[in-house]
Amino acid sequence: MKRVHAQIAGWAGFFLVFVALSVTHAATPPQRIVSLAPSVTEMLFALGFGARVVGVTTYCDYPAEAKKLPKIGSFVNPSLEAIAARRPDLVIGVNDANQSVKAREIAQLGLKISLVTLNNVDEIFRAIKSVAGWIGDAEAGEKLVRKITQQFDEVKKRVESAPRRRTLLVVGLRPLVAAGGGSYINELIMAAGGDNIANNAAQPWLNLPDEYVVSRAPQVIIEAGMGSERGQGGINWYDLKSIPAVKERRIYAYPSDKILRPGPRIGEGLEEIARMIHPECFAESKDRPGKGSRCERSQP
Amino acid sequence: MNVLNRRKMILVNGVLLILLALSIITCAFLGPTHVNLSKALENLFSSNADAEILFRARLPRILLGVAIGGGMAACGVVLQALLGNPLACPQMLGVSGGASLGGILGLIFFPNWLVPLAGGLFGEISWVPLAAFVGALCSMMLIYRFALFHGRIHPYHLLLSGVIFNSFVAAIIMFLNSIIDFYQAQGVLFWLMGSLSTRAYMTVAFIWIYVAVGFFVLWAKGISLNLITLGEEAALQLGVETNRLQRQIFVASSLMIGAMVSVSGMIGFVGLMIPHAMRLITGSDHRLLLPASFLAGGIFLCWADTLARVLLAPAELPVGIITAFFGGPFFLFLLYREGRRKLAL
Repeated sequence: MKRVHAQIAGWAGFFLVFVALSVTHAATPPQRIVSLAPSVTEMLFALGFGARVVGVTTYCDYPAEAKKLPKIGSFVNPSLEAIAARRPDLVIGVNDANQSVKAREIAQLGLKISLVTLNNVDEIFRAIKSVAGWIGDAEAGEKLVRKITQQFDEVKKRVESAPRRRTLLVVGLRPLVAAGGGSYINELIMAAGGDNIANNAAQPWLNLPDEYVVSRAPQVIIEAGMGSERGQGGINWYDLKSIPAVKERRIYAYPSDKILRPGPRIGEGLEEIARMIHPECFAESKDRPGKGSRCERSQP
Repeated sequence: MNVLNRRKMILVNGVLLILLALSIITCAFLGPTHVNLSKALENLFSSNADAEILFRARLPRILLGVAIGGGMAACGVVLQALLGNPLACPQMLGVSGGASLGGILGLIFFPNWLVPLAGGLFGEISWVPLAAFVGALCSMMLIYRFALFHGRIHPYHLLLSGVIFNSFVAAIIMFLNSIIDFYQAQGVLFWLMGSLSTRAYMTVAFIWIYVAVGFFVLWAKGISLNLITLGEEAALQLGVETNRLQRQIFVASSLMIGAMVSVSGMIGFVGLMIPHAMRLITGSDHRLLLPASFLAGGIFLCWADTLARVLLAPAELPVGIITAFFGGPFFLFLLYREGRRKLAL
């Protein structure tokens, strides 16, 4: 019973500190921000608050200025000491199993911490708006979301008349790790006119057996892994010629963070994967949208 | 005490061999996707999805599973006898740690996993397993050196140096994992979990050669292994050249384990559980226990891998999870059943 009371008291204290800090923050917008995730760092810079960022993770490598900022540890294991040493008036992290625990410890240090949820595209948009709001420039958030939405609309317009292509997006080849149905990447594939062959799995990422890929016969394979499979584009598949993507050489090495990071560059990333899934929809000059053009006629 | 005779030998191994053959055939038709055999055989050499699923995606992986399950179980049997320790398993000899370290260095520095030779006609060179195997060989020599005192390998030192070496390597791996980039780190973790996924018959053949040669070398030592479980001194008095036997067993099993881990990663519990299970059925005579464990290990891993492919389809579970789910409770049950008696070796 005592323990329960202590726990309630602890939570109440946590809440009070949170409320108190939220009130004080309303008065003065944060000037020293620490980011606990590459996606959050990208949001801060894209919103124009780059100059206020005083600490980032070791994985924060975009934009180039972020690389030069002091590091507070990795995304998975940020260092409390290093965060406190930056004397931030706002820490922004991601609401996942790992960082929500860290957040409690950071709050106990008396620092203000806010978390963003980034599991689907809507949440990414909401996160951008919240981050902008916390820093006291909600307009910047609205503007950035409008820009990304516009990029989405443009891509959707180009591919809407084209038939959906069965697509597989992998980040690792041995073992085969693919984007499943439970992530924003699945939404991006859909928006790009693809049909994710692994979308019947609820996990965001899953290990697929080779035979499943053969049986679902993807028409496009995107190898988005940044790390271990750098520059291997397609070699892994040469012996599975019944897969249309292999036969028609529609295997693309896409070593980019743009879609792997739930940040402000997903719009750019979306266009890039749409160009892989439906190259014919982007064949003509950029100022003429693809509707009613070659895109409609060409069949996979 | 039941005595080994030719009839029992043929009976046990025959039954297991038939079960193994049935398992291979059955598992080849089990999976997250349905295969149409007549369609697969109809146009075998054109690009045909059924044939590719059966002969490229499933069969090599099943054959690899049989070799590795059998090899792990056989190594478990001899290591338990050699070290006089019922907990001994292939993962305990530092070789597996060395293979992991080599493989991870390979993953980091040779990111191109494989280079097909002549468009895949002659198979392919896989850098990561190659690096892992080199790591296994280096660690084997290192551990051999550390366990060697006055010209003989001391089981006690072998056990301790193996365990410490593995923990040390685990620390190095964690260190490497914390300095490489995020996606590489994910790849390393997935690789460490172990998988039997392969489509290269060359790789499968390579493992089979190591496992088969190693197995026959160990099997030939069956009688000496029986004697060494009585204790080193007793074995020595009964005419076993224990020094030589220990060295031979160490080298043979290390080579087997190094080859296996370099391809499949760490798949635990097969080498621990199967030998104990087979001792219950066949008794402790290594002349029978070794082949029986080999066959049973093959059957077990064949089915474990099929479960890994099917249970959460389309996602594939790491096969080590399945073996641990069976192996952990089984080992505890064995301990409970044997009560205060020591586990038989």
